[in-house]
Amino acid sequence: MFTIGGKTLKSRLFVGTGKLPDYTLISKMYYEAKVEVFTVAVRRIGLNTKHEKSVLEFIPKEAVIMVNTSGATNYKEAIKIAQIGRELTSSDWVKVEIEKDTKYLFPDNYETLKACEILVKEGFKVFPYIYPDLTIAKELEQIGVTAVMPLAAPIGTNKGIGCEVLLKPIIAEVEIPVIIDAGIGRPSHAAQAMELGADAVLINTAIATAKDPLVMALAFSKAVEAGRLAYEIGLLKEYEYAQASSPLDDFIKG
Amino acid sequence: MLKVNDKELNFTGSIKELLDYLKLNQSSCAVLVNGEIIKRKDWEKYLLKNDDYVEIVSFVGGG
Repeated sequence: MFTIGGKTLKSRLFVGTGKLPDYTLISKMYYEAKVEVFTVAVRRIGLNTKHEKSVLEFIPKEAVIMVNTSGATNYKEAIKIAQIGRELTSSDWVKVEIEKDTKYLFPDNYETLKACEILVKEGFKVFPYIYPDLTIAKELEQIGVTAVMPLAAPIGTNKGIGCEVLLKPIIAEVEIPVIIDAGIGRPSHAAQAMELGADAVLINTAIATAKDPLVMALAFSKAVEAGRLAYEIGLLKEYEYAQASSPLDDFIKG
Repeated sequence: MLKVNDKELNFTGSIKELLDYLKLNQSSCAVLVNGEIIKRKDWEKYLLKNDDYVEIVSFVGGG
């Protein structure tokens, strides 16, 4: 159990709903993989296409909706998307994602900080997606965001924790929760993030594009739990040379 | 002429009437006029003017 943004959660695995082949997987992930937090995005409606149900209708009422501002290229657009999200979902959790570049989709920390300052004042629970930079993480903490979400690797790349040396100081130095977001491709990457001391991970592509997203969500759920348990009990130090596990005396003399 | 999600549309009436005309699922969409969010409770009385820029948005799966 851990408390974040005014909610007490059992699962430290947050899941993004982009690229899912079928939205009915959301409730399956909620009930079977115990995922409690789901992200969604805001887009314009195509006026000539047949209108399918909104993703919101597939999210169990007890689950937590985090509105993602993806698509925003500056702080003003992000704020607008957050406001639309609160209007439609009545959830005040917002993931601030602002990108100017479409090749790497790296977050713009400067615009993100500006958006967060305003959204915190407007009473949102703000979860900024950031480039792993300790200075900006501390500034965000100062202005009152709920958590910081530094990336592991570019979105959707499945490369895993590519910048451990940058993530560790953030985990060590900020008091608010740290959620590792983006680029995590395998359950072992998620376990590694949790062993480092992350409070949660947010996974989208690695689950949504798996052959069976529910099975992959289950795998991630176990990995997150395993990594967290190991972190809580304390990881052991590494040695240069072998440290025998069986006694080194009283051998049989054959 | 109205501009609705970048399409030109010959329409006069309220936001509510526009959504009815477009046969949209109103419970799941939000409306912006000239960049300002118009709250659901105001949809009936908000009359769209010529050259208004209307954006109708909804939620999709996203990371």
